[in-house]
Amino acid sequence: MRTDEELMAAYISGDKAAFRELFQRYAPLLQRAMARDLRTPEEASDLVQQTFLHLHRSRLDFEPGRKLKPWIFTIALNLKREFFRRSRRRHETSLDDERAPEPFEGPRGQERSDAARETMRALAELPAEHREVIELHWFAGLSFPEVAEAVGSTVAAVKVRAHRGYVALRARLGDSAPDPERIAGKPTAEGIH
Amino acid sequence: MDCAEIREALLRGEAEPSAEIEAHLASCTHCRELFAKEAELGRSLASASSLPLTLADDSFAQIETRVAEESGLRAWLRSRPSKIRFLLAALSVLAAVIVGAVLHPRRDLGDYPEARLSLLLGLYALGIALAFGKELFLSVRRGSFADFGWLVAAALALPFLVAFAPPTLASQSFGPEGAFACFRYGALLTLPTAALLWAFDRDDRLSLRTVCLSAAALGLAASLILELHCPSGNLVHVLFGHASIGLAWLALWAFVRRANRAAS
Repeated sequence: MRTDEELMAAYISGDKAAFRELFQRYAPLLQRAMARDLRTPEEASDLVQQTFLHLHRSRLDFEPGRKLKPWIFTIALNLKREFFRRSRRRHETSLDDERAPEPFEGPRGQERSDAARETMRALAELPAEHREVIELHWFAGLSFPEVAEAVGSTVAAVKVRAHRGYVALRARLGDSAPDPERIAGKPTAEGIH
Repeated sequence: MDCAEIREALLRGEAEPSAEIEAHLASCTHCRELFAKEAELGRSLASASSLPLTLADDSFAQIETRVAEESGLRAWLRSRPSKIRFLLAALSVLAAVIVGAVLHPRRDLGDYPEARLSLLLGLYALGIALAFGKELFLSVRRGSFADFGWLVAAALALPFLVAFAPPTLASQSFGPEGAFACFRYGALLTLPTAALLWAFDRDDRLSLRTVCLSAAALGLAASLILELHCPSGNLVHVLFGHASIGLAWLALWAFVRRANRAAS
């Protein structure tokens, strides 16, 4: 199987099938990443389309040796920020909608689904700089070096941002969230500073 | 490695233990639990966010159609590598400066203090290069006003600050007349660069970033052209005939952006 970078190189050379394969790999990831923050699937789809259109227009800027994943997410994040600026909308998750998903199934499905909604609501309330790195790492599957490249920061800085996000999440979720720092009455990680 | 260092590792976000940490975790239940919980929260987040996929069946066909529509001069220009687009934009300014200087050169250029001229041209050229760089290269935080606002503010303010600089001996005898002619001259000579920047824009709808940075670069380019064309040091003349061109470009780009938004 060809790597993302090999596919991109092939597309730059004129291989249209490579573009289709890149779309199949990245469109679901991007669609989910967009859908978390936008109110309608149509808005999310439009931004995914724009991301690929930008990928096409910027294809000659892609340098050999560079990783494709953070590059695509940089484009997508820029488009999402510009979308919010245009619409002057508050950054909201689609979880308040009736269309919000039921992520868990089974006998205790409703209870678990409520917990999931609560978790996602707490995540949505985090400061953007903390939420962004958590979402990219855990939802989009970017490694920390890739997250750092996508958001234009250092690896150490994004790791600290992620950790502070976890701490804030636990504070918001209360007892329902795992809280490593509270175990055995040890000092909190924030207290280490 | 001790427990404090383990907590430091957690602070750095190392939810997956490295070989060194692994060795400590093998003998320390407390730290093992810390690491497990950190990763657990991440995994629970990932599963809680498993939104159903809403990608339409024909979404690839849609993007294929949009890509197929990318033809013609503008599509070719905006798909050029950023370095090439930067170079072309810079060359268009250089061409405008040369044309301006050849058509109507400044009469007192021989008496103009060299150090002052070099400093001004250098500042203008630097501002133009920075604005083109920010506008044309892919960068993170493109959507953040803080990333480019300072440059736009500085670039738009620079010609106004220059207007308040003491005039040279030769230039202080001029009055405010001819300001509109200078405005027209500067605006006209920067028009090709404006068209090029519009063609280079990779967004379907003009972004705030493009509007502001284009206006900033065009304002500086016009001031540079007029510095080599007009000998007037009259404050009113320079303010209205030279420095205001950047603001006029800003107003025009903002109007186009607004019309663009209304149409979409």
